[in-house]
Amino acid sequence: MAAINDAGLSRRSFLLGTAGLGTVGALAACGNGGAGGDSTSGGSLSLLLPGDVPPGWDRVLGAVNEKLEADLGFTIAPEFIAWSNYASQSLLKFTAGEDFDTALSARWLNIAQLVESEAIIGLDHAFASGDYPELQATIAQDAFDANRWPDGTVYGLPAVNSAARLHHYTVRADLVDTYAGGSIDSFDQLEQFWYDVHQGEGIPGFVRGGASPWLVLGGPTGVFFPEGWENPSVIPVFFSSDSLFFVPAADAASTGSSDLVPFWEHQPYVDALRRVRQYYEDGIINADMLNIDTATAKGQFTSGGAASVWAITDGTSTSAHLQELTAAVPGASLMNVMPFADGLAARPSQTFQADNMVVLNASGSDNARALQVLDWVSKQENHDLLQYGIEGTDWELVDGDRYRQIGEYANFPGYALSWRVDRERKAADMSDSEDELFTWSQDYSNFERDTFASFIPDLGPVETEHSQITAAIAEFGLPLWAGAKDVDSGLDELKRAMETAGYEKVLEELRTQADAYLAEQA
Amino acid sequence: MTGTTEDTRAATPGKLKPTARAARRTPQERGPVGSRRRRGVQWRRKDYGLVILAAPAIVFFLVFAYGPMAGLVVAFQDFNINDGVFGSPWAGLSNFEFFFTSGQMNRILLNTLVLNALFLTATLGAGVLLALMLNEIRGTLLRRGLQSAVFIPYFVSPIVISIFLQAFLAGVGGRGGIVNDALNAFALPSVSWYTEPGPWPWILTIVKVWQLGGYFSVIFLAAITSIPEEVYEAGTIDGATRAQMAWRITLPLLKPTGAVLLLLGVGRIFYGDFGLIYAIVGDNGILFSTTDVIDTYVFRALRTYGDFGTTAAIGLFQSVVGFVLVMIALGVQRRYSKESSVL
Repeated sequence: MAAINDAGLSRRSFLLGTAGLGTVGALAACGNGGAGGDSTSGGSLSLLLPGDVPPGWDRVLGAVNEKLEADLGFTIAPEFIAWSNYASQSLLKFTAGEDFDTALSARWLNIAQLVESEAIIGLDHAFASGDYPELQATIAQDAFDANRWPDGTVYGLPAVNSAARLHHYTVRADLVDTYAGGSIDSFDQLEQFWYDVHQGEGIPGFVRGGASPWLVLGGPTGVFFPEGWENPSVIPVFFSSDSLFFVPAADAASTGSSDLVPFWEHQPYVDALRRVRQYYEDGIINADMLNIDTATAKGQFTSGGAASVWAITDGTSTSAHLQELTAAVPGASLMNVMPFADGLAARPSQTFQADNMVVLNASGSDNARALQVLDWVSKQENHDLLQYGIEGTDWELVDGDRYRQIGEYANFPGYALSWRVDRERKAADMSDSEDELFTWSQDYSNFERDTFASFIPDLGPVETEHSQITAAIAEFGLPLWAGAKDVDSGLDELKRAMETAGYEKVLEELRTQADAYLAEQA
Repeated sequence: MTGTTEDTRAATPGKLKPTARAARRTPQERGPVGSRRRRGVQWRRKDYGLVILAAPAIVFFLVFAYGPMAGLVVAFQDFNINDGVFGSPWAGLSNFEFFFTSGQMNRILLNTLVLNALFLTATLGAGVLLALMLNEIRGTLLRRGLQSAVFIPYFVSPIVISIFLQAFLAGVGGRGGIVNDALNAFALPSVSWYTEPGPWPWILTIVKVWQLGGYFSVIFLAAITSIPEEVYEAGTIDGATRAQMAWRITLPLLKPTGAVLLLLGVGRIFYGDFGLIYAIVGDNGILFSTTDVIDTYVFRALRTYGDFGTTAAIGLFQSVVGFVLVMIALGVQRRYSKESSVL
């Protein structure tokens, strides 16, 4: 046989080699990737988690699996999916019938479609069975019931670390000392502070990456929504939070009629839009809100380029910013400003519906074991191990119950698995103001249950119109939330787009369902 | 030698037919007998090797291109995750309703076509121009260096491009930017680029030219190097200047390469370069009137809702229109420039 090249490799050998390599590759591709999952006698559960793999993950996962194996006889093999792809990737995995066991879902993700397709299982029976005592002990019945679907079933376990989700502010405390006399107790004071800082320091009062309706349309509080400071009772009703918001009548509970109106007919919301537009023009907020992401905005704040950022009551504001801020601006400090004129005497409305829910895949390998894992991570020591890492290596106890990070392990997405109100530890460096607000937000009794607390509308009858409304909101709504467009002309454009998309049909459907809900509640 | 042994080996059931048929032909029909038979046998042996070599590509296309076409059936279904592709109920054409009744269809189709036409013509034009210029550089080192330099933007991620653009047009906080600084230096007012939709087709085109001009120039440069030197020598003898040779020799001989690139571009004209446009424009609705293309519109509408039926319907629409446009472009090529047509 003639050689085909100088190296003496024959044609047949070359072809056989190529075919062999191809076969090996194909077999490798067909094999079990086993991404991080230990092969054990009891098997391994696959969990979908959003975000990046935490530093030191393999070491902590090893310790978690060692304990799981000893306690329950099996292990877990979480798979991390980048946030930017999580919604589509997780949905594709459900579609492909993959047998992963748990995933993060919510109304702002794809839970409506998952429920409609029966891709996730109902959890009422498991929750009530008594087989998972730690779950029952750590998830309030109120929170569980608020996430009940129109068919009466709960499809996701709320993974929250506070009872209330209240939008507020993380502010440079050192600038508050200089420009606001050390405290901010009203929206007028806050606004004056923003203007003074802008004039004195040449930086915006507030910076944000990505526009959101919650900035201006309070529910019940919002960053640019002064009405919420005085009267934190209005929570809009919607099919999804990136779609059109409707405002119910204040007396809906007593009249039994929701009388929903689109947000532009609620004057405080329109006033808030005008206010944010003014801030945009005056340089009080960043002008590139629509174009930058949250990480960029965070970087601008922590490098000393703004006086305040958005915050929510999840106890992570200080730890997310302080270290970088003090590195860039020595002597800087942080505080969280409560968005209430009455301070913590306020009783804001809350639906208690969870932003994050753990759902169980109907095609999962073993739903009972998945529930065992959710129960297992509800125990304090297991929760701490997964969330904060190995004690003594990754974190240490401070003041009896707080944690201080001492190792590399950080940023485990507990909101997709292990967040429980009673199990969360506060970071040792949490500011006093955040501590006070976070502690207060963890108590369900501090809030009024909203009239539409457990109302989750069925999107089915208006799917097409809703999709078109969502697209129109992205085009005409986001510029309004960011103050980047004139309010009058912008609202006119938005209304025209809503009419074309068929918002009246959506409103009618939502009214019908809301009224039916009220009748049922009565 | 007539290859008798090989013919005998081939005379086995199932493998014999072509050789047997050839044997039944008259010598005139067979032509130069020995060479024809040998070529036939050699072709068959080569064929096995070629098939093995081509197998990974064939498998790749079967698995990732042709196989998934079965999924297009989802465009006509009320897709249900649990029932899957072949179990979900039929929904007729209702999935197409989303796009065709959105009220935005005309604008989005127009944007898609206009932007892609701009991208295609500008990048091909820039590619040819760069190739001609690079070809005129005599110093090998300089030419290679410049060739690499203009090629590098092709590898820059759209996300990085969007950050560069942000720095150029808006700066930190969105109220500055290098371009505005330059305008101010000439006593011209600043422009709020990210709230002015008008200039964006041109801005995106400039970005596209920066990104792809060098890439196309390398392709054209490769085509230029295959032009026989004798043609240029003839031009020199006829007294043509370098510019005349570039215009009258190089450019016409680049037509087949340009035709292939144009055809490939036309086939994708209904795909709006989602990565670049979404990375740069993102959720900035103010710019949608001139930058929103089919892909970005569908992505925005469906990223939370996740309706596979509607997505598949739009995908099918894009593919069918793309196919029709390719056929039209091909027909036009064959009609007016048959020598440069690819088929």
